[in-house]
Amino acid sequence: MSFRHLDQYATVPSPMTRTLPTARVLAVVVVAVGTATLPLGAWRHLAVLAAIVVGLVAAAKLPARAVVTRLAGPFVFILLASAALLVLVPGEPLWHMGPVGISKAGVERFGFVLGRASVALTAAVILVSTTSFPELLHALRQLRLPAVVITALGLGYRLLYLLVDEIERLQRAARSRNAAGGAARRRHVLVGIGASAMARAFARGERTHSAMLARGFAGDLPSLTPRHWDLRSSLLLVALSGAVAAVTVAAHLEF
Amino acid sequence: MSLLDVAALEFHYPDGTPALAGVSFVVDRGERVALLGPTGSGKSTVLQHLNGLLVPTAGAVRIDGTLLGAEFLREARRMVGLVFQDPNDQLFLPTLIEDVAFGPLNDGVPADAARRRAEAILEELGLHGFGQRAAHHLSGGERRLAALATVLVSRPALLVLDEPTGDLDARSRRRLVQLLQGREETLLVATHDLEVAGALCDRGIVLYDGAVVADRPLRDLLADLPFLERHGLAAPLAR
Repeated sequence: MSFRHLDQYATVPSPMTRTLPTARVLAVVVVAVGTATLPLGAWRHLAVLAAIVVGLVAAAKLPARAVVTRLAGPFVFILLASAALLVLVPGEPLWHMGPVGISKAGVERFGFVLGRASVALTAAVILVSTTSFPELLHALRQLRLPAVVITALGLGYRLLYLLVDEIERLQRAARSRNAAGGAARRRHVLVGIGASAMARAFARGERTHSAMLARGFAGDLPSLTPRHWDLRSSLLLVALSGAVAAVTVAAHLEF
Repeated sequence: MSLLDVAALEFHYPDGTPALAGVSFVVDRGERVALLGPTGSGKSTVLQHLNGLLVPTAGAVRIDGTLLGAEFLREARRMVGLVFQDPNDQLFLPTLIEDVAFGPLNDGVPADAARRRAEAILEELGLHGFGQRAAHHLSGGERRLAALATVLVSRPALLVLDEPTGDLDARSRRRLVQLLQGREETLLVATHDLEVAGALCDRGIVLYDGAVVADRPLRDLLADLPFLERHGLAAPLAR
């Protein structure tokens, strides 16, 4: 199975891909903190932050369709997680059915949380679309994330692809023997495939560890020198931080 | 002094099952030796003793005269380059250049020098420009060469290959064999592929049920079809 589509925008030359991955990670943190600290109801300020993020999408040369597609999965999760606000926030009732009611304040809170999450998620989508996983690891290493976390992420990334391959092979083997039947039968086959894939993943983990030891691994994953900090990355980060801070402070001063 | 001296090597799995029963052989510098045997004969188990991945139940392994033990482990792993049967086990980092530089970095080579060495060996093996690729973006043949690169980059004195052509198509197999024929390292190849053994090695050691049953010139071994068949190394299938 090919996974090249996942990194297809990371190699597109753009003002965004020319910046240091570490700067991109920090930029997402800046946008996330900025949106999270906006006071409730600061819709105009949220719109300004959204416009900044849309500008970053354009700078990254990301097609709108790709951004929306990559947003869809996490957005559904946010939608479900924040739906409870509709009924939990007390206030003037807009609609009710028995003891359960939706308040105007609940709708406002729900809408604002969704808005904030969408802006922050879009920034995260820009990051993961313009940054290959190895670059992301370098960035996290440069940001002094614990070595054990970097090691686990790096090995997990590689093993994930192997696990998907294993599962596909097992599925093909099941299909080639006409694995079908009702839902219960399919579930049974799926559980068997899952268990077998896990057992194989464990065995592969053991073999990979041996291969690491054979090449002198002593507990710390060494790294090749990553790219050095540059002026372009500094400018991106300073400009973005300044703009986001200005919007956030303005929102607090008005409220 | 032999580069590799395996003396009365015994190994039992944790459940007590014997895997090796007194395996002994030596490999001199510059030799090209095939370790032959059917599946389950103990070839991979022997290989994993050669750089200390397994600790023998009894017997000893000496690399260039030094007993392989805890103090010598780091140097032994640099001297004995082990290429695993499945290249996916050996390519575990997000990019190929990181995978190839992994060994030198562990040996304390500075990052810039390790990168240069990694790029040089990739070029030598015909993988120029593959450095930033992930292993799952390589073909089977390329993956096999990449696994070889991860070991050759550390400039081992003894190159140990476990079933190097197991999953390769004819073209990739030929390419790998030609490449190995041109290498100067001492070679120990574990395989049940007699054609590959014949193309690469001058001497054959036959392992059967965890014991050495023959150690002689490969040409003699390959001509002794009844012996090969008795020990699970049959000649090519015929109709």
